[in-house]
Amino acid sequence: MVKYILKRIGFLLLTLFLVASITFFLMKLLPGTPFNNPKIPAAQQAILAKQYGLDLPLWQQYVNYMVGIVHGNFGESYQFAGQTVSYLISTRIGPSLQLGVQAMIVGTLLGILLGAIAAIRKNTWVDAVATIFAIIGRSIPNFVFAALLQFWLAYKMNLFPIALWDGFSSSILPTLALAMAPLANTARFMRTEMVDVLNSDYIELAKSKGESQWQVVAKHAMRNSMIPIVTIIGPMAVDLMLGSLVVENVFAIPGIGQQFVQSITTNDYPVIMGLTILYSVMLTVVILVVDVLYGIIDPRIRLSGEGN
Amino acid sequence: MKKTYGVKIAAAATVAVALLSACSGNKSSSTGSTGAKTTWSRMEGDIISTMDPSLITDAISGQAATDTMAGLYRYDGSDLQPDLATAVVKPTNSGKTYTFKIRNAKWSNGDAITANDFVFGWRRTVDPATKSQYAYLYSGIENADAIMAGKKKASTLGIKAVNKSTVEVTLEHAIPYFETMLVNPAFFPQSEKAVDQYGSKYGTQSKYLVFSGPYKLVGWNGTNNSWKETKNDSYWDKKNVHIDQINVTAIKDPSTAYNLFKSGKLDDASLTGDQAAQAKSDPSYQGVKQASTFYLEMNEKKIPAFKNTKIRQAISMTINREEYIKKVLQDGSIVAPNLTPSGLATDPATKKDFSAEAAKTGSQYTKYNPKEATKLWTEGLKEAGLKDLNIELLTDDGENSKKTGEYLQNTFEKNLPGLKVSISTVPFKTRLARSTAGQFDMVMGGWSADFPDPITFLDLFTSNNSYNRGKWSNAEYDKLIDESKTTYANNAEKRWDVLLQAQELLTKEQGVIPIYQRVQAHLVKQGKISGLKTTPGGAYDFVGATVKK
Repeated sequence: MVKYILKRIGFLLLTLFLVASITFFLMKLLPGTPFNNPKIPAAQQAILAKQYGLDLPLWQQYVNYMVGIVHGNFGESYQFAGQTVSYLISTRIGPSLQLGVQAMIVGTLLGILLGAIAAIRKNTWVDAVATIFAIIGRSIPNFVFAALLQFWLAYKMNLFPIALWDGFSSSILPTLALAMAPLANTARFMRTEMVDVLNSDYIELAKSKGESQWQVVAKHAMRNSMIPIVTIIGPMAVDLMLGSLVVENVFAIPGIGQQFVQSITTNDYPVIMGLTILYSVMLTVVILVVDVLYGIIDPRIRLSGEGN
Repeated sequence: MKKTYGVKIAAAATVAVALLSACSGNKSSSTGSTGAKTTWSRMEGDIISTMDPSLITDAISGQAATDTMAGLYRYDGSDLQPDLATAVVKPTNSGKTYTFKIRNAKWSNGDAITANDFVFGWRRTVDPATKSQYAYLYSGIENADAIMAGKKKASTLGIKAVNKSTVEVTLEHAIPYFETMLVNPAFFPQSEKAVDQYGSKYGTQSKYLVFSGPYKLVGWNGTNNSWKETKNDSYWDKKNVHIDQINVTAIKDPSTAYNLFKSGKLDDASLTGDQAAQAKSDPSYQGVKQASTFYLEMNEKKIPAFKNTKIRQAISMTINREEYIKKVLQDGSIVAPNLTPSGLATDPATKKDFSAEAAKTGSQYTKYNPKEATKLWTEGLKEAGLKDLNIELLTDDGENSKKTGEYLQNTFEKNLPGLKVSISTVPFKTRLARSTAGQFDMVMGGWSADFPDPITFLDLFTSNNSYNRGKWSNAEYDKLIDESKTTYANNAEKRWDVLLQAQELLTKEQGVIPIYQRVQAHLVKQGKISGLKTTPGGAYDFVGATVKK
């Protein structure tokens, strides 16, 4: 197991190196310069480019950049003069992480519940309602939910703050808006898997031993139906934690989602790289964790893993 | 970057004359002497980028600088008023030397503001190591170009402290609009002590700054979405600062801004798009004119037919600007009869608006007249020896660009027989790059004032200006612009006359086709604030404004 994890960490580093390299060169293909003010005269543009080292040959910029990353120096933002990328990300990632985690918890728990109920009551009206709910959650984009929640629950009924980041109550509506997609996804996977599991032999066996239906579901069916959910939870969590541009905009949340998109439109190279690397680290680590979790949920995987 | 496009090209909102009074009349509200704090809650569409005066280029940081920092002068309405200088001075030495007396004023940390702070700040801005994007405004001050190019030391810049309270500035040649540039933060004094003390952190958070203006910036950590401005008791003119605190929040979504305003969380919301259209019928609606004009550039290098004046006039006269603004923009923007926007500058003798005066002649060339347009077009095509013309209209992915493209395509093809317009849509930055490289037939461009003088617009279309992307060229026009800078550099009224003539010529020739002047839609809480003035760039001047509790 230790050897397996070490090997995976090796791959993780290789992946990060490739991601950083590819992003670096793709980013340089973006049109425009970090100095998007069209009024800066050409001579002044050249002076600025020189000051920022952007006049160096591409390979040299690449080497400088990679050396910086290895030393943990991601550089300074162009857009926010004087702010280091690490500071920019660290001051704005908090709200995004909080919302991501909350949305993940709310979404997956409700999703699992909804999926399980739908499976147990298969082909009844309960199942139909749950399915429709899941389809709606899957197909309507979260910013529509965000706008609707804001208008009805906050503006019309005055139950929650309309926007702004001020205490837990202001995180409820954005959490709900963000939770719709994971809720729908989880519910869909859960239902499919649970229907399979409920038809399997060991469930029949458990029933024949005289366990009640709820006992069967809680003890046997739930756990075995979770495996595919664990697979999707990882990437979904990373997506959520790195912020949603639109939901953050609707609720005026000082998160990282805006930075992500804005850094690209403004050619803020160091910020693009910093965020891409952060995203890759989170994603690869989560995938590693998911692989380890498989073993805990499903002993068969653990055994074969040890066998290697 | 759609909606901030305007902000970007309006990077100069920080300079600026104020002329629109947001709330006219001085209602007799008290100045808040009875204890409770008076506050005003407003919003911006994005967060502050930097508060280092040398590095500020965007309108949002510029507004915060206008509120918290002082320069030599400050605009009050359309009047240039002394701020840290004791008087608005006349240059000597044929317009090449300015001597400013600095008044007895203090930084927010209690230190005196001295002539040295100006010398230090100016040298710092123009030093290439500072990486200022606005350093080019210094061009014309002695040695500035050489310093920017790294050929001379920053200490050779034409500014010196004669004594503690006297600054002398030397120019290479007379710059008639020099005084108007001094309201830009790039020309503000900077405390050497603060810059040394905070090092690379200077200007990146409110705690790494000292303030010289009416307010102090509070609670800005460099990246957050909300900040406060509280009255600066060290400001020399604090008796005219009546609002104790200004709360600012960055809100990107216009419908959120609308909802917050309607629920009383904001006193002033700025709106775009659908919300702006919706707000227009609201009694709280106010349009704030921006010093930005949007216009069609025609590439005479690529499409020789555009060299024909009648063809250019015909294209202009086939555009129903009122309808376009009403149906496509919907934000309360106004028709631009000239390149120079209205409200930018006033006649030194009569105080009449430049754009309005210029529009007296030649406005028929920007009026919708499809019949005349068709006639001119047919004649023009004949003169150019053409039967038909195919052009590509370059647009970007901005908010209104697509609709604008379709509207123009429709209108052109309807009234101008033989004209075929295809639309090419590219990302905003690609559009800028192509405009600069001259890779377009026709493109909608825009410009915002760097300083409140018509030359900031008129200079663009001289033959050799790099922003004259369509390469329209007119010897008489070049001569008039040149005269305004040389022969009449020290004669305000004569200079005004030649600039007017140049504007009229440009309009008559339609060397560039002006379409509209941007107006920013606002919802402002009724009856709460009075005496608030705004600059054409959209910046507010809170000095002198009062709010009710």
